[in-house]
Order: sequence, then C-alpha cells, then structure tokens
Amino acid sequence: MRSSLRHTRRVVARYGHARTPCSHLQSRAAAAGQPATQPPPAQTITARIQTRSLSISPSRSSSVNPEEISHFNALASSWWDPLGPSRVLHQMNPLRHDFIRQCQNSSATSSFAPGQKLRYLDVGCGGGIFAESAARLPTTESVTAIDPSTEILAVARRHAARDPALSTTLTYLNKTIDDLPLPTTSATQEDTTTTTTTTRFDVVSLFEVIEHVDNPSAFLDRCGQFVKPGGWLILSTIARTWTSWFTTNLVAEDIIGMVPKGTHDWNKYINEHELREFFRGRPEWWGAPQVFGVVYVPGLGWKEVKGSEKVGNYFFGVQRIQ
Amino acid sequence: MDAVVRARTAAYICRSCTRRFQLQRRQQRTFASASAAKPDIYDVVCVGGGPAGLSLLTALRSSPVTSHLRIALVEAQDLAKIRSWKLPPDRFSNRCSSLTPSSAQFLDTIGAWDHLKRERVQAYHEMQVWDGVTDARIEFDWAPGTAPSAGTTIAYMTENLNLTSGLLSRLEELGGVSVFDSARVERISFGEETEELDLSEWPVVQLAGGKQLYARLLVGADGANSPVRSFAGIEAKGWDYDRHGVVATLELEGEGWGGDQMKIAYQRFLPTGPVAMLPMPGNYSTLVWSTTPENASLLKSLSAKDFTAMVNAAFRLSPTDLQFMHTQESGQAEEVSWRLEQTPFSRQAVPQTVTGVQEGTIASFPLKMRHADTYIGERVALVGDAAHTIHPLAGQGLNQGQGDVQSLAKTIEYAVSHGQDLGSRMSLEPYLSERYAANHVLLGVCDKLHKVYSVGSGPLVPLRSLGLNAVNALGPLKSFLMNQAAGNGIKVF
Ligand SMILES: Cc1cc2nc3c(=O)[nH]c(=O)nc-3n(C[C@H](O)[C@H](O)[C@H](O)COP(=O)(O)OP(=O)(O)OC[C@H]3O[C@@H](n4cnc5c(N)ncnc54)[C@H](O)[C@@H]3O)c2cc1C
Ligand SMILES: C[S@@+](CC[C@H](N)C(=O)[O-])C[C@H]1O[C@@H](n2cnc3c(N)ncnc32)[C@H](O)[C@@H]1O
Repeated sequence: MRSSLRHTRRVVARYGHARTPCSHLQSRAAAAGQPATQPPPAQTITARIQTRSLSISPSRSSSVNPEEISHFNALASSWWDPLGPSRVLHQMNPLRHDFIRQCQNSSATSSFAPGQKLRYLDVGCGGGIFAESAARLPTTESVTAIDPSTEILAVARRHAARDPALSTTLTYLNKTIDDLPLPTTSATQEDTTTTTTTTRFDVVSLFEVIEHVDNPSAFLDRCGQFVKPGGWLILSTIARTWTSWFTTNLVAEDIIGMVPKGTHDWNKYINEHELREFFRGRPEWWGAPQVFGVVYVPGLGWKEVKGSEKVGNYFFGVQRIQ
Repeated sequence: MDAVVRARTAAYICRSCTRRFQLQRRQQRTFASASAAKPDIYDVVCVGGGPAGLSLLTALRSSPVTSHLRIALVEAQDLAKIRSWKLPPDRFSNRCSSLTPSSAQFLDTIGAWDHLKRERVQAYHEMQVWDGVTDARIEFDWAPGTAPSAGTTIAYMTENLNLTSGLLSRLEELGGVSVFDSARVERISFGEETEELDLSEWPVVQLAGGKQLYARLLVGADGANSPVRSFAGIEAKGWDYDRHGVVATLELEGEGWGGDQMKIAYQRFLPTGPVAMLPMPGNYSTLVWSTTPENASLLKSLSAKDFTAMVNAAFRLSPTDLQFMHTQESGQAEEVSWRLEQTPFSRQAVPQTVTGVQEGTIASFPLKMRHADTYIGERVALVGDAAHTIHPLAGQGLNQGQGDVQSLAKTIEYAVSHGQDLGSRMSLEPYLSERYAANHVLLGVCDKLHKVYSVGSGPLVPLRSLGLNAVNALGPLKSFLMNQAAGNGIKVF
C-alpha cells in the first residue's frame, strides 16, 4: 500500500495574513528556551482531517493553493534584492548545488554519461534563484523552470534578461507540474513549448515548495515522473517540530520580525521521516534517500549540521532507479 | 599635522558624469534598436596590468574552475616591453618589493614563480631593526617552537619588473586573455536596456579608438588613482605623509656580513622616517629611504659620491649629524668620512659599506595612506593599490595586493562552481569580508608605526626625552615582522 502525505486543514486561527518567501530560519533560537505561546494543538497534526485537493480539480491542479500564490505574487518585486526578505534563500542557494553533487556522487549509477551535460527541471522556481544558478553551470545543458505565479515569473524573466549567458540555457514556463505534458518517448501534438518537456530530466528540484503545496503526495508523484532513471528528485523544506514552529513562526515572524507574519503555515511542514516513508512506499521507483540538515547561523549563513534535519531545514534527495 | 584628504577623482569619469550618462541612457532607451552592434561581453575585464591585475588573471586562467571565463586585460603601458624586460646580471631595477613566503607560495600555485628570473630574486633570512635615536635594537628571539630554523626565508626581494614580466610569461603560456595594452580607458559607463537584454547595470569600458568591453565583473587593479574606483563612486580616505620614498640600487663592498647564504635586511628608524637597505643578489642592495620631500629632493640632486656617503651616514651617524648634512648642497662625502671617524659604531651591526649607486636608479615617490570605503560594488571589485595604499615601511603593499587577488580568485571560483553571477555584489561579499578588516589592521599598524617613530607626533617623543628604552615601543613592529616571517599573517597588538 502506498503511503501518502497529506496536509491537515488549518483548524486553528493563523497567526497572520501578510506573506513573504519562505525564509525559514532555524537558528540559535532553538536553544533560547520555551516558546512564549503554545504551538497549534498536536491533534491538528494527527487528526489529518482532509486534504484540500479534494476540492480542487485533480487533473488541472493537484497542488496549487491560490492563497499561497497570491502571497508569493506580493513578494515578487523584492525577490532579487540581496538584502530583502529573500536573502536567506540567496544564501542557501550554493548549498543546493553542493547537495545535488553529493547525491550524484553517492551513487554508482547515473542518468548521464561522464562529460555529458545535465538537464534540470526546477518546480516552483520563484524568482529563479536556483534556476539561474543551475543554468550558469558549465555542466548544464538546459534548465526548465516553472512556477504558477505569473507575477513572480515576470520578475524571473526580467531578471534573467540581465544576464546574456542565460538566454540559451534557461526557459521559464508559467505552468504547474500538472500542466506539463508527461514525458513520453516521442513528442506529442499538444506540446507546443519545447521538446524539453517531453524528455525526462537528470535533476528535478523542488526547493522550499512542498510546504506551500496542498496535496504533497500527488505533487511528488507527478514530479517524480519527470525524473530520468538514474536521475534525482531533490527537495528542500522544513520539518514540522516544536523547534521549527518556535523559530519560524514565533521568533522569525513575531519576535524579530525577520520575515513578515504569515509566511509559514506550520501545519504544512513535512518531516523528514514522513518523506522517507513516502518514498519507501514506492520501492520500485526510488532508491534510499540522501539527507542534509542545515542550520541558519546569524552572521555566518547556512551551515550543514548533522542530525538537524530532524528539527529544521533539510535537503532531501532520492534517485530514480527505473 | 596630517590632513584627511579625499581621493582625487579622475577627471574623465566622475560620478556626476556617470549619472548624467545614466540619464542619457534612459532617454536613449527608446532609440535602442535590435540592429545595434552586438555587445562584446566579457566575464572579467581587468583594468591595470600591474602585479595585482596580472596575478588575478593568471590565477583565473590557471584554475580549471575559472579557465573557461572570457577575460580581458586593459593596460595603459606597452606590455611587450615588460614581457621582454631584461637587464645584465649586474644591474638591478630600482623598484623592488619583498615578497612574503605566502605571496611566493601563491605565485607558485598559479604557476608563475618558475617564470621569474630566479637568479635575480634574493631571499633574506635575518633582519636588523633599530631605533636611530636610542640605538635600541629589536632582537628576533623566537618563542620556543616557532623559530624558523637558521636560514629560513623571511621574504624574497624581487624587482617589480621581474615579477610582472614573469607573470606575463605565465599568462602567455596559459593563453586565452584578450589583451588591450597601450590602451587608455577613455570612459566607463553602463550598458543599455532592450527588450531581450538588460545591460543597464553592466559596466562598459570604452577604450581610446572606440572599442567597448562589456564587463560582468569590472576589476580595478589600476593603482592608487584607480579610474575604476572613481567610476564606481567609491571613495578612498587617508593621509598624505608629507614624505617621499627615495629608492636606488646600491653597490656594496661585499655580499653582506652573513655571506651569500645568510642575507640580512636592515632598517633604521630616523626621526624623518625609516631608511631600509634590502639585499639583492651578489654585492647589490636596494634602498628605500622615507624622508621629507625637501630631503628627498636634496638627495636626488647629489653626485653619486655624495649620495653614497649619505646612505652610509643614514645607517651610522646621529640624526643630528644627518640633519646637518641635509642642509649642504654638496661635499657630503668628505663630511661623512670625517664624522664617521668621530662616531663609534659596531661595523657588523650595520650594513656593509656602500661603494656606489647605479646610474639612473635614484628616484622618489610620494608616500600616502589610502583605504577605499569598500572593495566591491555591483559588478565592480577593487584589488591592490586601487583598494589601499600603504606606507612602505613594512614592505607590504604588493603583498597585500597578492592577498586580495588570492581571495578574489577564490571568491570567483566559488561563485562559478555554484552557478552564481560572479559579478553580483552578493557573490563578491566573501572577498570583501575576508580582506577588508585584514587590510585595515595592516594599514593601521604601518600608519601607527610611521607616526610612533617620527618626531613631531606620537608617544615616543616624551618617552625618549625620559630616556626610556625604545625597545618596548618597537615590540609591536617586532611581533608584526616575526608573524609575517612565520607566515602567520597579521596579528599585531
Ligand atoms: C617606494 C616604494 C617602495 C615599495 N616597496 C614595497 C615592498 O618592499 N613590498 C611591497 O609589497 N610593496 C612595496 N611597495 C608597494 C608596491 O609597489 C605597490 O603596492 C604595487 O606596485 C601595487 O600593485 P598594483 O598592481 O595594485 O598597482 P600598480 O603597480 O600601480 O599597477 C597599476 C597598473 O594600472 C595601470 N593603469 C592605471 N590606470 C589605467 C588606465 N586608466 N587604463 C589602463 N591602465 C591603467 C598602470 O599603468 C599600472 O600598470 C612600494 C611602493 C613604493 C612607493
Ligand atoms: C518559497 S518560494 C521558493 C522559490 C524557489 N524555489 C527558491 O527557493 O528560490 C515557493 C515558490 O513555490 C511556488 N508554488 C506555490 N505553490 C506551488 C505549486 N503548487 N506548484 C509549484 N510551485 C508552487 C510559489 O509561487 C513560489 O514561487
């Protein structure tokens, strides 16, 4: 039987309404003592009342939450401000490449021959922090980057126009993963974009996206179909723990105001063991995961800390075995 | 008193012109047509082919991570002349620098060290440093365990031209740099914005003759009056020391008291500034004498015989005697030999006697201290003297530039291997944080040392009048020099 990841519907009042990018912040706050207020009652996690996807047409959009999208739309203009609310994402970006390389080096098999260039699909690309960087690597053949937010994608396109090196390797599509035609061996009629959508990818990435998605199980299954055998599905997110609630919802939003209130919906956070279970339930497709816990140290930026995936931000990678 | 002065802004590109240009650009935007000539785009455009610029490009070309980058060098001088630079074995250029072991190590890593004319490089192994007023000497007593074994190299004396010529030879071997030499930078402006491409934040270097180079990263390695720094609107603050550094190539009576295998550098702190004699191969040494502009012009006006006598006097006679001899227009040679007979000194505690000065090597440079407010901007980075100018008393200027270059090359490497835009401010931040504080400390140390050991300012004056031993006050200099020698970097005070 397949395991599935479901988000609980929010049964308690949210802590705020304005939203910003997911600058999840796991810092020394973890050691700072008891939270001043209570996190949402534990039963909201276990109750798992129902998933939002039931009310949204599964064929068009297994995952998109319109509230989430409007939140990110509002953020579009500050996306590339290196001192703005997305600074933590910018700072995290190099580690994503380190993690992908670590995953690829961990396995004897691979989706590409030595010296061959890689094809990336970046899902929920936002302003393109990762997509641009992947497209600039000399080892990259192409990057296809998709995001459901029109405003953010406009920012992404405008920003990419500032770098002539990107024009040949980077393609933005204002689409959800459900809109992308499933990879087949031959190009289909409907495929008017490029043939790239019909070929599988060496790397499919979902950075800080899964926690904003309504039906993560269906979303991951769909994304997984775009991975080449031997390729990797890579994601980063934040664990749903007392610590993460405390640091992202209380400290980051309420106390130091590092990110505006409402950035994080703690109920949507997914724990590392839940992801493990999910992929373990699909052994015919996926190998054993690679995990990399990271901690944001104020003044120093992101650092890998072994074991921290249990409490805060983490990278997660699984290789498709067939 | 030292006056705070602002860096001179190059006349041909000032901030306001840049602004005006930006305004113009906005108006022009509507006229920008797709048929405009395709911009010539480089990943790195380095203005300045001195020690800093050439090392940077060599580092970038020699690393497999950055060797695919498209690189251009713009240099006002004719580089072919520097590349083919050659002097007979018994003649030395007057512009020499002491390269610390870490600079030499870096040059070796980028494959340049072997391209230097090594027989013209002189390692030295000992330093004699003393106060000209009290005669107090620094003893280099190494703490147990930290002592470099006898014969350990403190630094390598190298002609600047030997270094730049060697770097050019290595760069030629590596290939792949578009070199625009004998090329004056006419103007630096910003690119244009069209539908497809927005180059409005890309610096465009325009050369005399109309050639335009678009830069993902524009590096200012263009020396103390950096046009790139002016373009970026970065100010450099600091002091003029009201001192000149008089340089010359000297001929000595022998190879030095320690012979060929134990070369010694000498530095004596006079009230007008330090005078240093640094060993070159064979019987040769190079002189760096920091003194007042008046003294400097007198020294330059002397006959070779009188100049030689003054140099010998600078390491032997009392500051009062020296001061007196600076008031004479000529006849120093006789004066010095008479006074030396009256002055007791230990022969081996001072350099061997200077017997002559090589023709045409006496020159002087104004000394100043400058530090740019920052080393980076969007698509701009400054290295070497463009970022900081230091008093030469600790022989660190060129070495600081090598430290900058090493750090910037590493920063660029990291950016490239992680897909970052190497010209973005964010990518350049590690370079700034790694170098700024370190350079600032060093600048401050050399500035303080200059002041402490000069009459007219600094705490040593009252101490001296109380007859206190100046060795204590020389302590910071000593630990500084020892740390440098031991390759520990900058740890002073
Ligand atoms: C008397 C004296 C003694 C010194 N002794 C030592 C020592 O013992 N040890 C030490 O480490 N340092 C020493 N220094 C300092 C050292 O010489 C400098 O720090 C070093 O040369 C700086 O190198 P750079 O490459 O940054 O700049 P520079 O050597 O000044 O090179 C700048 C280059 O840029 C070019 N340029 C400038 N403007 C333009 C333009 N508009 N277009 C094109 N090209 C341009 C110039 O032609 C030049 O080639 C001494 C300095 C002095 C004055
Ligand atoms: C926190 S941002 C991360 C952006 C980018 N991956 C990064 O890390 O720089 C989350 C992004 O996910 C997008 N998003 C939200 N719901 C999504 C969905 N169902 N499918 C794909 N992307 C989604 C948002 O529009 C937003 O751009």
